[in-house]
Amino acid sequence: MTGEQQTRLLERLLKGEQQAFKELVDTYQGAMRAVAYAIVGSRHADEAVQDAWLAVVRNLKGFEQRSSLKTWLLTITANAAKTRYKQNRREVLLDDLPGPHGTIGDERFATDGHWLQGPAAWHEDTPEALLSREQMRECLEHTLLSLSELQRSVLLLRERQGLELEQICNLLDISLSNVRVLLHRARLKVFATLEHFEETGQC
Amino acid sequence: MLSCKQLVARSSDYLDKQLTLGERLMVRQHLLFCSHCRRFLKQMRVAQATVRALPEEPVVDSQALAERLARELKDS
Repeated sequence: MTGEQQTRLLERLLKGEQQAFKELVDTYQGAMRAVAYAIVGSRHADEAVQDAWLAVVRNLKGFEQRSSLKTWLLTITANAAKTRYKQNRREVLLDDLPGPHGTIGDERFATDGHWLQGPAAWHEDTPEALLSREQMRECLEHTLLSLSELQRSVLLLRERQGLELEQICNLLDISLSNVRVLLHRARLKVFATLEHFEETGQC
Repeated sequence: MLSCKQLVARSSDYLDKQLTLGERLMVRQHLLFCSHCRRFLKQMRVAQATVRALPEEPVVDSQALAERLARELKDS
Protein backbone atom coordinates (compact mmCIF):
# COMPACT_ATOMS: atom_id res chain seq x y z
CA MET A 1 0.00 0.00 0.00
CA THR A 2 1.50 3.35 -1.01
CA GLY A 3 1.58 6.29 1.38
CA GLU A 4 -1.13 7.99 -0.58
CA GLN A 5 -3.43 4.94 -0.57
CA GLN A 6 -2.82 4.64 3.14
CA THR A 7 -3.76 8.26 3.80
CA ARG A 8 -6.95 7.87 1.81
CA LEU A 9 -7.87 4.66 3.60
CA LEU A 10 -7.25 6.36 6.95
CA GLU A 11 -9.56 9.23 6.05
CA ARG A 12 -12.32 6.80 5.20
CA LEU A 13 -11.69 4.82 8.39
CA LEU A 14 -11.92 7.93 10.52
CA LYS A 15 -15.27 8.70 8.95
CA GLY A 16 -16.38 5.28 10.11
CA GLU A 17 -16.88 3.91 6.63
CA GLN A 18 -17.71 0.24 6.93
CA GLN A 19 -16.24 -0.70 3.57
CA ALA A 20 -12.93 0.86 4.62
CA PHE A 21 -12.86 -1.31 7.72
CA LYS A 22 -13.55 -4.34 5.59
CA GLU A 23 -10.58 -3.49 3.38
CA LEU A 24 -8.43 -3.02 6.46
CA VAL A 25 -9.47 -6.36 7.91
CA ASP A 26 -9.06 -8.24 4.62
CA THR A 27 -5.64 -6.75 4.01
CA TYR A 28 -4.05 -7.09 7.42
CA GLN A 29 -5.85 -9.68 9.49
CA GLY A 30 -3.63 -12.47 8.12
CA ALA A 31 -0.42 -10.74 9.17
CA MET A 32 -1.91 -9.79 12.54
CA ARG A 33 -2.95 -13.34 13.13
CA ALA A 34 0.53 -14.59 12.30
CA VAL A 35 2.05 -12.21 14.85
CA ALA A 36 -0.46 -13.14 17.55
CA TYR A 37 0.04 -16.79 16.81
CA ALA A 38 3.77 -16.46 17.30
CA ILE A 39 3.32 -14.90 20.74
CA VAL A 40 0.34 -16.63 22.32
CA GLY A 41 0.02 -19.78 20.21
CA SER A 42 -2.97 -21.11 18.35
CA ARG A 43 -5.30 -21.30 21.32
CA HIS A 44 -5.36 -17.59 22.07
CA ALA A 45 -4.35 -16.01 18.77
CA ASP A 46 -7.90 -15.10 17.73
CA GLU A 47 -8.65 -13.45 21.07
CA ALA A 48 -5.43 -11.45 20.87
CA VAL A 49 -6.35 -10.27 17.37
CA GLN A 50 -9.79 -9.22 18.62
CA ASP A 51 -8.12 -7.23 21.41
CA ALA A 52 -5.81 -5.69 18.85
CA TRP A 53 -8.66 -4.57 16.57
CA LEU A 54 -10.37 -2.81 19.45
CA ALA A 55 -7.12 -1.09 20.36
CA VAL A 56 -6.71 -0.07 16.73
CA VAL A 57 -10.12 1.58 16.72
CA ARG A 58 -9.42 3.34 20.00
CA ASN A 59 -6.09 4.69 18.77
CA LEU A 60 -6.92 5.39 15.16
CA LYS A 61 -7.30 9.13 15.66
CA GLY A 62 -3.87 9.33 17.24
CA PHE A 63 -2.05 7.44 14.48
CA GLU A 64 0.40 9.93 13.02
CA GLN A 65 1.77 7.80 10.18
CA ARG A 66 5.30 7.88 11.50
CA SER A 67 5.45 4.21 10.61
CA SER A 68 3.54 2.35 7.92
CA LEU A 69 0.01 1.30 8.72
CA LYS A 70 1.10 -2.32 8.60
CA THR A 71 3.92 -1.81 11.11
CA TRP A 72 1.58 0.10 13.40
CA LEU A 73 -1.09 -2.63 13.26
CA LEU A 74 1.44 -5.37 13.89
CA THR A 75 2.96 -3.52 16.85
CA ILE A 76 -0.48 -3.13 18.39
CA THR A 77 -1.13 -6.81 17.78
CA ALA A 78 2.14 -7.84 19.40
CA ASN A 79 1.36 -5.67 22.42
CA ALA A 80 -2.16 -7.06 22.71
CA ALA A 81 -0.82 -10.59 22.53
CA LYS A 82 1.89 -9.89 25.10
CA THR A 83 -0.66 -8.39 27.48
CA ARG A 84 -2.75 -11.53 27.21
CA TYR A 85 0.25 -13.61 27.88
CA LYS A 86 1.86 -11.59 30.65
CA GLN A 87 1.31 -14.19 33.37
CA ASN A 88 3.28 -16.91 31.75
CA ARG A 89 5.22 -15.59 28.84
CA ARG A 90 6.57 -18.24 26.62
CA GLU A 91 10.28 -18.76 26.62
CA VAL A 92 11.89 -18.74 23.24
CA LEU A 93 11.77 -22.36 22.35
CA LEU A 94 14.36 -23.29 19.83
CA ASP A 95 13.03 -26.83 19.92
CA ASP A 96 13.49 -28.41 16.59
CA LEU A 97 10.76 -30.95 15.97
CA PRO A 98 11.49 -33.51 13.26
CA GLY A 99 9.89 -32.68 9.93
CA PRO A 100 7.84 -35.33 8.11
CA HIS A 101 10.50 -35.56 5.41
CA GLY A 102 13.50 -34.70 7.54
CA THR A 103 15.82 -31.86 6.69
CA ILE A 104 19.02 -31.29 4.77
CA GLY A 105 21.23 -32.74 7.46
CA ASP A 106 24.76 -34.02 7.93
CA GLU A 107 23.91 -37.32 6.28
CA ARG A 108 23.76 -35.55 2.94
CA PHE A 109 27.42 -34.64 3.05
CA ALA A 110 30.74 -36.48 2.94
CA THR A 111 33.25 -35.94 5.73
CA ASP A 112 35.01 -33.32 3.59
CA GLY A 113 31.75 -31.34 3.40
CA HIS A 114 30.90 -32.10 -0.22
CA TRP A 115 27.44 -33.28 -1.22
CA LEU A 116 27.32 -37.08 -1.22
CA GLN A 117 24.69 -36.78 -3.88
CA GLY A 118 23.74 -33.34 -5.05
CA PRO A 119 20.13 -32.19 -5.05
CA ALA A 120 18.22 -33.66 -8.02
CA ALA A 121 16.49 -31.43 -10.55
CA TRP A 122 12.80 -30.87 -9.85
CA HIS A 123 10.17 -31.57 -12.46
CA GLU A 124 8.33 -28.45 -11.55
CA ASP A 125 10.29 -25.46 -10.48
CA THR A 126 7.74 -22.73 -10.17
CA PRO A 127 5.43 -22.27 -7.16
CA GLU A 128 2.39 -22.28 -9.46
CA ALA A 129 3.32 -25.66 -10.94
CA LEU A 130 4.22 -27.12 -7.56
CA LEU A 131 1.01 -25.95 -5.94
CA SER A 132 -1.20 -26.95 -8.85
CA ARG A 133 -1.41 -30.43 -7.38
CA GLU A 134 -3.70 -30.62 -4.41
CA GLN A 135 -1.69 -33.41 -2.86
CA MET A 136 1.41 -31.23 -2.92
CA ARG A 137 -0.45 -28.37 -1.24
CA GLU A 138 -1.70 -30.67 1.48
CA CYS A 139 1.74 -32.15 1.91
CA LEU A 140 3.27 -28.73 2.38
CA GLU A 141 0.54 -27.68 4.82
CA HIS A 142 1.27 -30.82 6.77
CA THR A 143 4.95 -29.96 6.98
CA LEU A 144 4.17 -26.42 8.13
CA LEU A 145 1.93 -27.81 10.85
CA SER A 146 4.69 -30.12 12.01
CA LEU A 147 6.95 -27.15 12.80
CA SER A 148 6.94 -25.68 16.29
CA GLU A 149 4.54 -22.74 16.54
CA LEU A 150 7.37 -20.26 16.76
CA GLN A 151 9.28 -21.76 13.86
CA ARG A 152 6.18 -21.76 11.68
CA SER A 153 5.29 -18.20 12.67
CA VAL A 154 8.72 -16.86 11.87
CA LEU A 155 8.69 -18.61 8.50
CA LEU A 156 5.26 -17.26 7.58
CA LEU A 157 6.03 -13.74 8.82
CA ARG A 158 9.11 -13.71 6.65
CA GLU A 159 7.97 -15.49 3.48
CA ARG A 160 4.26 -14.80 3.35
CA GLN A 161 4.01 -11.46 5.11
CA GLY A 162 7.35 -10.24 3.81
CA LEU A 163 8.56 -8.77 7.09
CA GLU A 164 12.21 -7.86 7.57
CA LEU A 165 14.14 -9.95 10.09
CA GLU A 166 14.53 -6.87 12.31
CA GLN A 167 10.77 -6.36 12.38
CA ILE A 168 10.25 -9.97 13.40
CA CYS A 169 12.78 -9.58 16.23
CA ASN A 170 11.09 -6.44 17.50
CA LEU A 171 7.56 -7.78 17.33
CA LEU A 172 8.34 -11.11 18.95
CA ASP A 173 11.08 -9.95 21.34
CA ILE A 174 13.53 -12.52 20.13
CA SER A 175 17.11 -12.01 19.09
CA LEU A 176 18.21 -11.73 15.49
CA SER A 177 20.32 -14.85 15.81
CA ASN A 178 17.32 -16.81 17.08
CA VAL A 179 15.18 -15.58 14.21
CA ARG A 180 17.88 -16.67 11.78
CA VAL A 181 18.12 -20.12 13.31
CA LEU A 182 14.36 -20.62 13.39
CA LEU A 183 13.97 -19.48 9.81
CA HIS A 184 16.76 -21.64 8.47
CA ARG A 185 15.54 -24.81 10.17
CA ALA A 186 12.02 -24.22 8.93
CA ARG A 187 13.18 -23.60 5.37
CA LEU A 188 15.25 -26.76 5.25
CA LYS A 189 12.27 -28.83 6.32
CA VAL A 190 10.10 -27.24 3.66
CA PHE A 191 12.89 -27.92 1.19
CA ALA A 192 13.04 -31.58 2.24
CA THR A 193 9.30 -31.93 1.70
CA LEU A 194 9.38 -30.43 -1.78
CA GLU A 195 12.37 -32.57 -2.67
CA HIS A 196 10.71 -35.71 -1.36
CA PHE A 197 7.54 -34.98 -3.28
CA GLU A 198 9.44 -34.26 -6.46
CA GLU A 199 11.37 -37.51 -6.15
CA THR A 200 8.58 -39.86 -5.16
CA GLY A 201 5.47 -38.11 -6.46
CA GLN A 202 3.81 -38.56 -3.09
CA CYS A 203 3.80 -37.10 0.37
CA MET B 1 37.22 -22.29 0.61
CA LEU B 2 33.71 -22.92 1.83
CA SER B 3 32.47 -26.52 1.70
CA CYS B 4 29.03 -27.42 0.35
CA LYS B 5 27.90 -28.26 3.87
CA GLN B 6 29.00 -24.83 5.10
CA LEU B 7 27.27 -23.17 2.18
CA VAL B 8 24.01 -24.94 2.99
CA ALA B 9 24.37 -23.85 6.63
CA ARG B 10 24.72 -20.23 5.49
CA SER B 11 22.12 -20.38 2.74
CA SER B 12 19.28 -18.68 4.63
CA ASP B 13 21.58 -15.92 5.79
CA TYR B 14 22.75 -15.50 2.21
CA LEU B 15 19.19 -15.25 0.94
CA ASP B 16 18.28 -12.80 3.70
CA LYS B 17 21.41 -10.71 3.15
CA GLN B 18 22.66 -11.37 6.67
CA LEU B 19 26.21 -12.29 5.69
CA THR B 20 29.19 -9.99 5.94
CA LEU B 21 30.74 -8.90 2.69
CA GLY B 22 33.57 -11.41 3.13
CA GLU B 23 31.19 -14.30 3.77
CA ARG B 24 29.07 -13.26 0.85
CA LEU B 25 32.06 -13.29 -1.47
CA MET B 26 33.00 -16.76 -0.23
CA VAL B 27 29.51 -18.01 -1.06
CA ARG B 28 29.66 -16.40 -4.50
CA GLN B 29 33.03 -17.93 -5.18
CA HIS B 30 31.80 -21.37 -4.17
CA LEU B 31 28.76 -21.02 -6.40
CA LEU B 32 30.95 -20.26 -9.40
CA PHE B 33 32.45 -23.72 -9.19
CA CYS B 34 29.65 -25.83 -7.71
CA SER B 35 26.59 -26.73 -9.75
CA HIS B 36 25.10 -28.75 -6.86
CA CYS B 37 25.02 -25.72 -4.62
CA ARG B 38 23.75 -23.50 -7.42
CA ARG B 39 20.87 -25.90 -7.85
CA PHE B 40 20.33 -26.09 -4.10
CA LEU B 41 20.07 -22.30 -3.78
CA LYS B 42 17.78 -22.07 -6.77
CA GLN B 43 15.51 -24.67 -5.20
CA MET B 44 15.63 -22.85 -1.87
CA ARG B 45 14.31 -19.78 -3.66
CA VAL B 46 11.56 -21.85 -5.26
CA ALA B 47 10.70 -23.23 -1.81
CA GLN B 48 10.49 -19.67 -0.42
CA ALA B 49 8.25 -18.58 -3.25
CA THR B 50 6.09 -21.67 -2.81
CA VAL B 51 5.46 -20.92 0.86
CA ARG B 52 4.64 -17.35 -0.16
CA ALA B 53 2.16 -18.59 -2.77
CA LEU B 54 0.40 -21.01 -0.45
CA PRO B 55 -3.13 -19.70 0.02
CA GLU B 56 -3.76 -18.04 3.35
CA GLU B 57 -6.65 -19.04 5.53
CA PRO B 58 -9.35 -16.46 4.69
CA VAL B 59 -10.78 -14.19 7.35
CA VAL B 60 -13.90 -15.96 8.50
CA ASP B 61 -16.34 -13.08 8.52
CA SER B 62 -14.62 -9.84 7.74
CA GLN B 63 -17.92 -8.11 6.99
CA ALA B 64 -19.25 -8.65 10.51
CA LEU B 65 -15.96 -7.59 12.05
CA ALA B 66 -15.87 -4.47 9.87
CA GLU B 67 -19.40 -3.55 10.94
CA ARG B 68 -18.47 -3.97 14.56
CA LEU B 69 -15.31 -1.88 14.25
CA ALA B 70 -17.11 0.91 12.42
CA ARG B 71 -19.70 0.93 15.21
CA GLU B 72 -17.03 0.97 17.92
CA LEU B 73 -15.41 3.96 16.25
CA LYS B 74 -18.67 5.90 16.23
CA ASP B 75 -19.32 5.05 19.87
CA SER B 76 -15.86 6.07 21.00
